[in-house]
Amino acid sequence: MNHCVPDFEMDDDYSILSSSTLNRPRKSPVPEDEIMELLWQNGQLVMQSQNQRSFKKSPPSKHQDGDQSASKEIRPSHHHHQQQQTVTDNLFMQEDEMASWLHYPFNDANFDNDFCADILYPSAPCVTSIATTTASPPVRPIEQPVEPRHLPVPASASAVASSSRPPIPPVRRTELESSRIPNFAHFSRHKVRTEPSGPSNSKSVVRELTVVDSCDTPAVVPESRGFRAMPSISNTEGASGGNNNNACGTIAIGAAAVAASTHSAGVSIGAGASSRENLATCELTVTSSPGCSSASAEPAAPKVAAEDRKRKDREAAGDAECRSEDAEFESPNTKKQSRGSTSTKRSRAAEVHNLSERRRRDRINEKMRALQELIPRCNKSDKASMLDEAIEYLKSLQLQVQMMSMGCGMVPMMFPGVQQFMPPMGMGMGMGMGMGMGMGMGVDMGMSRPMMPFPNVLAGPSLPTAAAAAHLGPRFPMPAFHMPPPAPDPSRIQPNQPDAMLGSLGLQTPNQPWMSGFADPYQQYLGLHQMQLPLPQNQATGQPSSSKPSTSKDAENLENHPPGT
Amino acid sequence: MSSRRSRQSGVSRISDDQIIELVSKLRQHLPEIRERRSDKVSASKVLQETCSYIKNLHKEVDDLSERLSQLLSTIDADSAEAAIIRSLIM
Repeated sequence: MNHCVPDFEMDDDYSILSSSTLNRPRKSPVPEDEIMELLWQNGQLVMQSQNQRSFKKSPPSKHQDGDQSASKEIRPSHHHHQQQQTVTDNLFMQEDEMASWLHYPFNDANFDNDFCADILYPSAPCVTSIATTTASPPVRPIEQPVEPRHLPVPASASAVASSSRPPIPPVRRTELESSRIPNFAHFSRHKVRTEPSGPSNSKSVVRELTVVDSCDTPAVVPESRGFRAMPSISNTEGASGGNNNNACGTIAIGAAAVAASTHSAGVSIGAGASSRENLATCELTVTSSPGCSSASAEPAAPKVAAEDRKRKDREAAGDAECRSEDAEFESPNTKKQSRGSTSTKRSRAAEVHNLSERRRRDRINEKMRALQELIPRCNKSDKASMLDEAIEYLKSLQLQVQMMSMGCGMVPMMFPGVQQFMPPMGMGMGMGMGMGMGMGMGVDMGMSRPMMPFPNVLAGPSLPTAAAAAHLGPRFPMPAFHMPPPAPDPSRIQPNQPDAMLGSLGLQTPNQPWMSGFADPYQQYLGLHQMQLPLPQNQATGQPSSSKPSTSKDAENLENHPPGT
Repeated sequence: MSSRRSRQSGVSRISDDQIIELVSKLRQHLPEIRERRSDKVSASKVLQETCSYIKNLHKEVDDLSERLSQLLSTIDADSAEAAIIRSLIM
């Protein structure tokens, strides 16, 4: 029992799942709630209820279903409440693979190979025999039934898989065999948790799962994503090849999913949840393997934590027996774990870390792209400038919303202030706002010279707020709108070169200009950027132009003088 | 591999710092309520919040525009406030 505690999350999954699956059929003997399991019987899919064997389904195409049910079978048997073991008779390749794989979890150097081998080359006949053996006895007396089960398994496994696997102690095998897929998950998790080399072990496990998945075409087509999305029958091992983290989880989930899928609707919900939990747990264990993957662990952690909580709740109703079994199972696993080579563990840890890092990067990039789409006229390619623009745009949007809401509030209150609206605008605008924006000065100019488009544009955004401020007082803090520095320039140069500016910028109707650009402060912001360029030019041209007449006059005078004299 | 990494990290280190700074700046503009532990908010989370916040603001702008246009219809079209409102909507 205590052994199981550290791993109870994983155990919980199984126990919960199994208990849920078990309880459902038990508590509700109604046929609907009966657990229907899809078993693979000699090349055919058979649908059987827990208690009885009923109809058969379709053929080999339903492979996965069979596998699923097989794994489901395994689970129940593991939890020794399962009477579904009857169905396990028809365990097939999946189970066989799992069994062999579970049986030889920690072969040192050959760990990976063995794993892979076993899974890759399951032997059908063995499966059946295993199924039969596993089916009958309850999980409790695991060892006894396991023994006989074992024999066929190793035989078959060895036949198919490499015979390099050393014989596993019966106890461990028993654990493994009985748990099958669930055990496998345990065991990967167990490794992760119990051993300092856990991460690498988990990785190895995961990797092997991955390998298995990729190789094991006939059995199940791993679709971890689909699997994750909802417990589907498609995957027992359902882990994408490249997704090591998922591999472990999906396998566990596969078991859960199998149970879920085969169960009735009522059951499937619970199973689905537990499968998710399993997945989460697996993922957590893999990702949280100490120091291996931080990034992925974090996102997974909260999710897993939530699910862990759920599982814990359910675990209360879980099975102590399975925990004890898991404990036994795990102790041998730990031993096996410790034997893994350090270098491979480290490389696996690095591998997982890289994967998680990559995933994190991908997430961030994806969000950056989404943000870029939201920002109008964002043609920046690098992240930093894009983020800069995003910040500016966000500010301008906030400002716009505030202004508009103020405008909405202003309208009903405008009437008393209408008389005062115009006159103080020139003076009170900039000051009243206290926004520290050059636009205030622009407003002043705008008011004094309604013909000025440029200052009007500048003044536009601030004008309504200034007006509101004058009458209503600023009701909310206005964000400091990032106005371009040249904003004050127009006010400075205006008295000097109004003509130049007018000429260059074009004139608009007096009333409109200072309002026109407001609605889109960001547009204004961009517009100002563009205007800043001509502005210095205007100043430059204005100065010479203004000076030219004088110089020319001087020249004329000079010229006149000399001629005169 | 190591050389690649160093090169890549050399470039990315600069950008990473920039990005971290910008992300924190961005986060300042986001509504405070959404901020949890500020030191632990991930960049992707901030970006996500920003996107949703911008969408929210867009929606608000649309709503306000509609409201303003409604108000515009209620007041004298020649008045100053009408002009203001028109500018706001535009």
